[in-house]
Amino acid sequence: MSRYEINGHLFAAEPKPGQCLRTFLRDLEVFGVKKGCDAGDCGACTVWIDGKPFHSCLVPAFRAEGRKVTTIEGLASSGEMHPVQKAFHDAQAFQCGYCAAGMVMTVASMGANQKADLPHALKGNLCRCTGYRSITDALNGKCNIESDVAGKACGASLPNPFTDDILTGKARYTMDVAMPGMLHLKVLRSPHAHARIVGIDRTAALAVPGVVAVYTWEDVPRRLYSTALHEDHLVDPDDTYMLDNVARFAGQRVAAVVAESEGAAEAGCRAIHVEYEVLPAVFDPVEAMEPGAPLLHDKDVLTKEGNVYCDLKGEIGNIARGFEEAHAIHELTYSTSRVQHVHLETHGSIAWRGEDNRWHVRTSSQGPFAAQKKLCYLMGLKARDLHVFTERVGGGFGGKQEMISEDLVLFAAMKLGRPVKWEWTREDEFLGGTTRHQMTTHVKLGARKDGTLTAMDVRVVSNTGAYGNHGSETLAAAMGSPIAAYRCDNKRGAGYAVYTNMVPGGGFRGYGASQTTFAIECAIDELARLLAIDPMEMRRRNVVRPGDNIESIWQEPSDASFGSYGILECLEIVERELAKGNGVAKPGGDHWAEGTGVALAMLECGPPTEHRSGAEMRLLADGTYHLAVGSSEMGNGITTAHKQMAAAVLGVRATDIAIINADTDRTPYDTGTFASTGTVVAGKAVHIAAEAMRDDILAFASRHTGMDPVQCRLENDAVVCGDKRIPLDALHAAGAKTDHHFAVSRKAYLSPRTIAFNVQGVRLAVHRVTGEIRILHSVHAADIGRPINPMQCRGQLDGAVAMGYGWALTENMVHEAGHMVNPQLRNYRIPAYADTPHTDIFFADTVDSIGPLGAKSQGECGINPVAPAVANALADATGIRFAHLPFTPDRIFAELAEKP
Amino acid sequence: MKPFTYERAGSPAEAAAAAARRPEAKFIAGGTNLLDLMKLQIETPAHLIDVNGLKLDTIEPTQEGGLRIGALVRNTDLAADERVRRDYGVLSRALLAGASGQLRNRATTAGNLLQRTRCPYFYDTNMACNKRRPGSGCSAIGGINRQHAVVGASEACIATHPSDMAVAMRVLDASIETVKPQGATRTISIAELHRLPGDTPNVETVLEAGELITAVTLPRPVGGSQQYRKVRDRASYAFALVSVAAIVQPDGSGRVALGGVAHKPWRLDAADAEMPRGAKAVAGKLFADAKPTEHNAFKLPLAERALASVLADARG
Repeated sequence: MSRYEINGHLFAAEPKPGQCLRTFLRDLEVFGVKKGCDAGDCGACTVWIDGKPFHSCLVPAFRAEGRKVTTIEGLASSGEMHPVQKAFHDAQAFQCGYCAAGMVMTVASMGANQKADLPHALKGNLCRCTGYRSITDALNGKCNIESDVAGKACGASLPNPFTDDILTGKARYTMDVAMPGMLHLKVLRSPHAHARIVGIDRTAALAVPGVVAVYTWEDVPRRLYSTALHEDHLVDPDDTYMLDNVARFAGQRVAAVVAESEGAAEAGCRAIHVEYEVLPAVFDPVEAMEPGAPLLHDKDVLTKEGNVYCDLKGEIGNIARGFEEAHAIHELTYSTSRVQHVHLETHGSIAWRGEDNRWHVRTSSQGPFAAQKKLCYLMGLKARDLHVFTERVGGGFGGKQEMISEDLVLFAAMKLGRPVKWEWTREDEFLGGTTRHQMTTHVKLGARKDGTLTAMDVRVVSNTGAYGNHGSETLAAAMGSPIAAYRCDNKRGAGYAVYTNMVPGGGFRGYGASQTTFAIECAIDELARLLAIDPMEMRRRNVVRPGDNIESIWQEPSDASFGSYGILECLEIVERELAKGNGVAKPGGDHWAEGTGVALAMLECGPPTEHRSGAEMRLLADGTYHLAVGSSEMGNGITTAHKQMAAAVLGVRATDIAIINADTDRTPYDTGTFASTGTVVAGKAVHIAAEAMRDDILAFASRHTGMDPVQCRLENDAVVCGDKRIPLDALHAAGAKTDHHFAVSRKAYLSPRTIAFNVQGVRLAVHRVTGEIRILHSVHAADIGRPINPMQCRGQLDGAVAMGYGWALTENMVHEAGHMVNPQLRNYRIPAYADTPHTDIFFADTVDSIGPLGAKSQGECGINPVAPAVANALADATGIRFAHLPFTPDRIFAELAEKP
Repeated sequence: MKPFTYERAGSPAEAAAAAARRPEAKFIAGGTNLLDLMKLQIETPAHLIDVNGLKLDTIEPTQEGGLRIGALVRNTDLAADERVRRDYGVLSRALLAGASGQLRNRATTAGNLLQRTRCPYFYDTNMACNKRRPGSGCSAIGGINRQHAVVGASEACIATHPSDMAVAMRVLDASIETVKPQGATRTISIAELHRLPGDTPNVETVLEAGELITAVTLPRPVGGSQQYRKVRDRASYAFALVSVAAIVQPDGSGRVALGGVAHKPWRLDAADAEMPRGAKAVAGKLFADAKPTEHNAFKLPLAERALASVLADARG
């Protein structure tokens, strides 16, 4: 046996042949070492060997023999956090926390020179949630947290309740568990974009040592479903089988192999022989709409016509008359790229049979209840026999509003009777996960001389890929708020969601509205230019106002209305800040051109379809509270916010509220945490449950003391009835004697929906020689109502804006005939520290009358105005309208090169 | 990953001899590229010879006034070396333009020179690639080849060499010291080390089976303004679209090597001779035989403009 010293403890262990240090450490249950890529790009697995940081995924395990290995678990000494852990605590330099272990290990190893040059020093660590701002704060020793004072929880920047566990490596994410007898599942993915499976020979795979089972389409229940998670499953087409005999995109699952080790499962996949009949494929949605194009789905799946899965059309006013009245018309086709969420924790699930003889699925999901429903349908189970839950979830952004890893592990566990785990690789994500829908948007806008919009005509073609999950809902969002954001008498729209042999689209932060916002916000600027009107003024003149009908292209009344209105203030903030400047000058030399741009985005807070949440509260024997909410926490900060909301109502500290969430056994039903509903729906349930808790306590106290209810009130950890003060633990004890349990539950639904706004301002420099873009000044103003936790709200916006810059500048899934050619994080480039500009974030001073405690949605929409603001700044700098994302150097340079 | 056997070599000659005994063996040093490729089963060595214990990790002055860099000197240490920063600025800059700190802490000087291309088709085992599977064809030709070679490529392969460091080494006229399995040593100029793809893109260097790099030697410093300019898709971390390593003397003469445009660092004597006449003349020579594709034709003017910008900076 070889000897390894890990965090000061000696282990005698033998790595498997070829095993890297990362998996070796995790086999020893050192779960603080995470995986985001397994290829040396993301840094989540960073550990020290003899005090130097390395990506443990690229270090052969045997290399560590006889060396001192330090992981996040070993950084704190004698119970004292390392100063860097402390700094990350005080700055709250994480959101989902998945990157934090690696980030802390890298930062803790830095010398003064490296700290002075963070763009270089932090190259090897990616964070998808924070936009790196809070990480910079930690490095600068900034404290972002406030104290938790009874009765003042709402509106305070309180820390994430799981901070210490996250920063010391104790937090358990989906895959951080060892189970006796665990089997591992891997899938073979189709190399063809469109092919019929003629035969599958699994003999060789079954002969691989360690392989236990191979499953193909012939083994699984032949039930159609959609992977998308929504309250009403009918909004998505039932067009998918767990495993199918037709592959409709390169990357679709063809077979699943279950084995004693991941290595054996992978070897099993490679040993499967599949005979394919390659079919004609179509990748472009416009071509897919042509007569005679290869058809994606046959008789079993209803489509509107051919490959058009659905279309949405509408007109208000008279579009032709609108253009007749216009003095200026802008018309152009814009397009957006296919991008992915890149939550650092990949998808993954573990299924097993418990001692209670029920099935349990531990999964990385934004909607465990909706997943439970789908799993029950697929496997023929009753809901009472299936428990679905999350542990810590390492990011979601819409990517986990999808049931794509749970089904196969449950199926295999039910077949084999042993625990089965499937942890996705980063390549699995890129090939088999979902993406933002690629959309092509033709916009025609008309306005009078004074800037008043007279006509808006929008045509959207959305490439939904091989399956229709989220296809219609994202299309509806694309035809909704970006058009409704402007008052205009004549509007017309036509949208088409089209099947092609591409990787399927899915839900992604911004959800369809992002793509149309890009097109319309660029077009508004172009129209302003034609009319020689300031772009900011153009928006002010046309943006919707309280009292207006919130209408896009449909006559039907909408349930969206203004619970508060802050867009004008947001525009004013961004205008003021850009005018004031931040002192950052463009780089020297003649080659840099400078420009400024703005864009706005509107969000109806919540989906137009059904959404519901429940919350349960109990007073505990020790006088503190317990809150159970179905909502998922994936780094959005919603558990912190829910604790604060309940604490505010009950007049206690947030720490006096224990919380559990996202568990079908232990929490009430929740549709799912997506469409920015964590605050406005689940938060509303928490709010009214806390009010019910308060009323229940006061009513009991009144009966108990014989005092009139109006003379009873809560005061922190006691109830005060007249001049009598009864501690809550004593009250609980009194209740127990009379069988009063101090337990309440409430449900919340979503309607009406309030409206939030975001405005982004950008000043940038572009290098005429190389096409390089540098963001000089980035300003964001958000109308999100009253921030429950200002630090977290700012963090959500930091992350959303950073993601917006990624979409605008560096990220792009490149496909050739349906094959992705850059499925690694070094080639698919989410912003690293050096790519992410600092953004000044401001809140409009609004308090919402619809959302709970005055709050509105804030996680979804921040991304939407970023790409068009960059485009508008680029147009300002160069005089050229770049209408296609992303703005990579060669595209910029190619356009600029043609101009003298 | 395929199972393999493993040994630790005690000396360079022993390592080379061990490799000669096992044709399917590979040397492993930092392993940052090899381990990744092994996980993807693009590299499937049956045997690994660990050379990390060979004490080739020092940087020493040579009698000629240059520097002898041990093959195992880590990229971090090389970039930080005071003599390198003072006398060979282009090398230090190129290293820092490369990978992340965690990778540079592992990656070695010799390993950096020998790293494999990042051509996406080389990485995708579903696709044809003459480099990975000789004779299977080249998916990059006619595929997405925005990142690929514009010059020196062949019908069989249009991959580029990904290293930043090698471009600097090329402009510095480094030479490579090796030991062969029988114990003989030789010196190879950096110009000769990497091959153009020709019909055998799977053979990337002139190293013989089992031949081990022991050091890289830099000639005495040549002074001048030393620049490394990398144009890439983002600021933090990406392989070069094009990169320019240049040494410009006060009289305008100098030398230039390009990265990101060919199967090896690209430098031509005829182009160096044009340095006093400016970027257009130099680029004209460098790209005289260029055969860009539709997707990567932008690299020609981009390289020329980047060079112009470097020359302007060098003049101050």
